[in-house]
This record gives sequence, C-alpha cells and structure tokens, in this order.
Amino acid sequence: MSVLSSVLASEGAFESHHWLFPETKEIIWGGLAFLLVFGALWKFALPQFKKAFAARTERIDKDLRGAADARQAAQQAATTIRSQLGDIEAERARLLAEADAQAAQLLVDGRARLDAEAVELEAKAAADLSVGQSRLAGEVQAEVAAIAAAATRRLVSSQLDDSTQRDLVEQFIVRVGASR
Amino acid sequence: MSDRIDAYANALFSVAQGEGNLDEVEDELFRFARALEGSDALRTALTDELIPAARRQSIVEDVLGGKASVTTTALLSFVVGAGRGRDLPEIIDRLVHRAAGAKNLAVAEVRSAVPLSDDQRERLAAALANATGQAVTLKVVIDPSILGGIVAQVGDTVIDGSVRSRLDQLTSRL
Repeated sequence: MSVLSSVLASEGAFESHHWLFPETKEIIWGGLAFLLVFGALWKFALPQFKKAFAARTERIDKDLRGAADARQAAQQAATTIRSQLGDIEAERARLLAEADAQAAQLLVDGRARLDAEAVELEAKAAADLSVGQSRLAGEVQAEVAAIAAAATRRLVSSQLDDSTQRDLVEQFIVRVGASR
Repeated sequence: MSDRIDAYANALFSVAQGEGNLDEVEDELFRFARALEGSDALRTALTDELIPAARRQSIVEDVLGGKASVTTTALLSFVVGAGRGRDLPEIIDRLVHRAAGAKNLAVAEVRSAVPLSDDQRERLAAALANATGQAVTLKVVIDPSILGGIVAQVGDTVIDGSVRSRLDQLTSRL
C-alpha cells in the first residue's frame, strides 16, 4: 500500500472498485508523483549521468587512443627492432665478408712473401754457391800455381849446369849490348 | 852522419890509392860489404858494441883469412875497430863511387849466380856501357839466390836477366 493510498484511505474518500486496479485518485496522485520524480530526475540526475557517461566515453576513447598509440609504438618498436636485426645481420654479413677478404688477402700476401723469400733465398744460395765456387777455384788455382812454380823452380834449378849458366850469361850480355 | 861516412870513405880511398892497389882494394871491399849485408851473424858480430874492438878486428881477419890483400884487411879492421861496422857497407859504397868517379866511370853492380870470366866481364862492361850510355866499372857479386843469369844495376837502372825473376814472373802469371 502506498503512502498516497494511505492518505486517501484516511480521508475516507478513497474507494476501490477493483482489487487489481488502484483507485483513480491514487492513479492521479501516483502519476503526479511519478512525473514529479521523473522531472527531478530529468533535470538533476540526467545531466550528471550524461556528464559521467561523457567522461567515461572520453576516458574510454582516451584509453583506446592510448592503446592505439601504444600499439603503434609497439609496432614501431617492432619495426625498429626488425630493422636493427636486419642491420645487425647485414653488419654481421659485412664483417664476415670483410674477414674473409682479409683472410684471403693475408693468404695471397703470405704466399707472395713466401714466394719472394724463396726466390731471394734461392738467389742468395746461388750467389753463395758461385762465390764459394769462385773462391774454391781461386784457392785451387793458387795452390796449383804454387805447386807448379815450386816444381818448375826445382826442375829449372836441377837443369842449371855450368853450360846453361854460361849460356844465360852470354844471352844477357848479348841482349844488354843490343839494347840501346 | 853523412859527412862522417864521406870522411871515412875518403880516408879509405886515400890509403888504397896511396898503396897503389886501389882497384884491387876497392873490389875486395865491395865484395866484403855485400857479404856483410847478406850475413846477419857477421853483421851482428861486427856491430856489437859489447864485443871489444880487438875481438871484432880479429873476426875480420879470421873471415878474410888471407883471401884479401893486406891493405883491405887493415882498412876493414880500422873501420870495425873504430866502431863503424854498422856504416861499413855505406862507407864502402861511397868509396867505390868515388873511385869510379875519379876515373869518370859509373858503378855497375852485377849479381851473378856463377863467377864471370875476364872476357865475360869485359864484354858485359861494354854491353852495359852501350845500354846506359856511360862507361862503367863492374862490381860483381856472386849471388846463388838468383839461380842463373845476371842482374845488373847502374845508378837507378836495373836490368834483370835472372832465372829467379823469370820464375817469379811465371809464378805471378800462374
């Protein structure tokens, strides 16, 4: 039983004509009260509700924009990371290629140096051999010359008898006498 | 020093000339000088100041042993006794050159492996005179080290016809 029904009952003016439907007055007063409450709600609550809803909507939009920004930032970061990964891969490949090139160049240089050293050593060995041969030949020649000279001196001395000595003196006299 | 050597050379020249056997003395002195140059032992004995002069003179007499004239022996003993044994070769060379100069001759020092005959000496002197353009007096030294042939020196001119020099040339050519 509503407050309005109670009031009408107490006044004795209220009389129900059906058990299911309220009295007409009650309907009127109830409708007026409803309208009054509805109007108050419309005037005071609805703006607050709209304001809260708008704020919530704005907050949600803000959150959505933030999420979109975050997503975009994440995508940007992912792109950057992928790019950096690509750069790292390229740098790795470049370094590997450079290392391979340096190794190949070192190999070429080493082979060239070894070849040059081998040629130089070979030339030096040939020169040393030539010098050694020349020195040995010179020593042998000097030794042979000394032996030959000694043998010749001994042979000549043994052949210098009185007749030969006399001939030598005569040859000297004749040669000097003819040499003016 | 040179004046003193000249003084000794002049003294020896005067004595030999006064004795009348200058050529013989000069020749003997020359050969003694060459022998002195070729013998270290003899040079040491005649120049050693620690050996008394009388001992040195007796060494000279022993070396000559009658193979030289009395004048030559006396002159050598005089020089050695005076302590001039070291200068003896140079004194004698000056004497020889002075004697040759007195006769307007050049000195030809001849080294031969064997003794030369008089004929060979005369022909060699004539040949050297022809080669050098001046008359020479020969001073012959027997030098077996040249093996054979002759080496003659007149002034600064040397004519080497020795077997030793030919062998040396052969050795250097080898």
